[in-house]
Amino acid sequence: MLFSSIVFLFYFLPVVLLLYLAAPRKLKNLALLVCSLVFYAWGEPKYVLLMTVSIVIGYVCGIQIEKHRGGLAGKVWMALSVVFSLGFLFYFKYVDFFLDSFSKATGLSIKLLGIALPIGISFYTFQMLSYTIDVYRGQVKAQRNLLNLATYIAMFPQLIAGPIVRYSDIEHSLTERAHTVERTALGIRRFTLGLGKKVIIANSLGELCNVLVEPQAASVVSYWAYAVTAALFIYFDFSGYSDMAIGLGRIFGFEFPENFNYPFLSGSMTEFWRRWHMTLGGWFRDYLYIPLGGSRVSKVRQFVNIFIVWLATGLWHGAAWNYVIWGLYFAVLLILEKFWLKDFLDKHRIAGRVYFLVLVLFSFVIFHADNVSLAGSMLAGMFGAGGVNFVTSYSLYCLRNYAVILVVAVFGATPLAARAFAKLQKNKTGAAVCSVAEPIGLALIFIVATAFLVNGSYNPFLYFRF
Amino acid sequence: MRKTNIVIIAVMSVLLFGLAVFAWVKPADEYSLSERRRLSQRPELTAESLLAGGDKSFMTKFEDYATDQFPLRDEFRTVYSVVSLYALAEKEINGIYLMGRHAVKVEYPLDQVSIDWALERFSDLNARFFQGRPVYLCVIPDKNYFLAKESGHPSLDYEALFAELREKTADYAEYVDVTGLLDVGDYYYTDTHWRQDKITDVAEYLAQQMGTEAYDSYRTMTLDTPFYGVYYGQAALPLAPDSLTYLTNDEMEGLEVLCLDNGTPEANPLYDLEKAAGKDGYELFLSGSKALITMENPNAATDKELVIFRDSFGSSLAPLLTHGYRKVTLVDVRYISPRYLNNFVDFENADILLLYSTTLLNDSRRLLLE
Repeated sequence: MLFSSIVFLFYFLPVVLLLYLAAPRKLKNLALLVCSLVFYAWGEPKYVLLMTVSIVIGYVCGIQIEKHRGGLAGKVWMALSVVFSLGFLFYFKYVDFFLDSFSKATGLSIKLLGIALPIGISFYTFQMLSYTIDVYRGQVKAQRNLLNLATYIAMFPQLIAGPIVRYSDIEHSLTERAHTVERTALGIRRFTLGLGKKVIIANSLGELCNVLVEPQAASVVSYWAYAVTAALFIYFDFSGYSDMAIGLGRIFGFEFPENFNYPFLSGSMTEFWRRWHMTLGGWFRDYLYIPLGGSRVSKVRQFVNIFIVWLATGLWHGAAWNYVIWGLYFAVLLILEKFWLKDFLDKHRIAGRVYFLVLVLFSFVIFHADNVSLAGSMLAGMFGAGGVNFVTSYSLYCLRNYAVILVVAVFGATPLAARAFAKLQKNKTGAAVCSVAEPIGLALIFIVATAFLVNGSYNPFLYFRF
Repeated sequence: MRKTNIVIIAVMSVLLFGLAVFAWVKPADEYSLSERRRLSQRPELTAESLLAGGDKSFMTKFEDYATDQFPLRDEFRTVYSVVSLYALAEKEINGIYLMGRHAVKVEYPLDQVSIDWALERFSDLNARFFQGRPVYLCVIPDKNYFLAKESGHPSLDYEALFAELREKTADYAEYVDVTGLLDVGDYYYTDTHWRQDKITDVAEYLAQQMGTEAYDSYRTMTLDTPFYGVYYGQAALPLAPDSLTYLTNDEMEGLEVLCLDNGTPEANPLYDLEKAAGKDGYELFLSGSKALITMENPNAATDKELVIFRDSFGSSLAPLLTHGYRKVTLVDVRYISPRYLNNFVDFENADILLLYSTTLLNDSRRLLLE
């Protein structure tokens, strides 16, 4: 079930809110857990069992790790937790990918298992790992209440598409959380804005991506336009969904970490990854890069560490070679920046921006393509390879058709609107206007987003499959 | 600030819960008049449907149902169209664009597979039935032919398409070009079809090309009920309706019209006033989609017969050709395979007219039966 769907908005969410409000304080987590399991089962009934098993294993491992911390048994339990979590992830997400790749490389005909990917497995596996590793490190206490741990892992606002909430982020809120008018209103604001970003902007950009790759549009201009549109589409799609998750979290009394911070304002790839999918970047930093030695090892070892982290990041996004290449592409750029380009980029911000914007567009082409070959032909097309026209009348028509939404998206990817709103609220008249305009604006966004959903317009969600 | 927060919670709660309760209690509609389609109904909840994957699952069907049966669905669709067209300045809504009062469906790109398929079907019909008979091909341009260039929308290369059709049917059919007799004013504003009262010149020219004659005069009848054409519902914009007009005269009123769709001839109205007030007003003409219709005119100027292979455009044109033919048979090979035609249609001594719109030809792979 997508947040941006009629079923979620008008069937699931109202019932959940009523149940949650009606539940006494002690039963609120139970209400949230039951609703979360229904939410998950809506997409994958059979995989509720898998998630439940993962939770129970994490629960047992957490307690045992704490009990035996510092000793060999603690390490064994920690290893068991990692093996089970990553084992499930590998089996359900990657085994067919590796079998297929092995078959193609060796010419052997190995039958694939045809396993359907459990929704959100990458997200909840990483959350479970962060919990057991933090218990192992002594950074958090093991959760003795299975219901609380299950509520943390299965909590529907962040279950299938993040942000990757660490147990330490909400440990306290699982037992003690405040429900205030201010937090609820903040949650509603965030959710509604996210809904608008996803349904009105991202879905329209997704449509534009689709038409720009139609054969009659094929041209240098359309390939570049596709790269820009794909970048904006993925940003609005994912950040809109994260906004909805953060907003829902607030409504239920939780404070989820931010996931995006205007990534396209970056002046380098290093900065981009501090602003894009921040909870994933932070996870890999704290649970893979630093344990591998981080930057406190030799240069060669650092190279290797960066490659390992970005290979894993690429694979986390999907079991396909274009994600592997995408990850390694960033590894190369981040190494170049770390060891050679950093000073230049710091000194020449404009050149840095241009460098970043061009190279990041290539990354989105690789990321958004269905396969490596398609990514390659689109990247080649951006430079006119294959005798492609510079521009076609159809590609110009497509761009004119979506010109306003593109401008809105570019503007919306910057903090200008938020700054203007904040500035307006600083003076008395502006604040008075905002106090009237804001509820009206939110209601309008909600109504228009509903209208887009009712019309049955294009409504995919990319991160659903990770 | 606290006051604003309370207002936000109140406004959004009213919207969310108000629409939710409305959605839960609203009785399900069977059919959407504006979209001209059946709406999804509430699926049955069973263990099997819960565990079934993909389109068969209860969840997928419920999502379709929830979207189809959403309260104020038409009004929300209009909100979508108005925002897309005016706020986002999109040049087409659900594939429809506006040019003056005309709603037009973008017809692009050319589907060469469909064009080839249509040509194969025509060739097959020729081989089966047309040997030695005079065959005419007439292609009706869609509204883009007149408007797309001016409005800046992509469109087919019509001249190339007409040339290809003419060239590839030249050995068995005479091409009758009627484009010079048409302009966009000959079509309904909210519909894909042409207006019968505006195509008497087309009928006259076709009759002349086929060596017969059309009627001299008609009485023009206009219906009171507003006509919301197919593009009205697809665009979901607040467009003014058309009015339906049909042509008649004493001779046409004496026509015997029969429908053979059920195997035996059944009387069929030439102008179906009941259907004109129904879900598709254009069904006024010969009651809409029918596989086989015959029109016999005891007072015809000749004893000749005409067989028209046609799409829906033919329903309004064919009655105007009945003066020149004792019997006109309309065949729609979207609904009957040519393999069965010998049982119903006598091609002996008949003229043949292939009368198709560009819209159908460009989608014929899906529509025309083998």
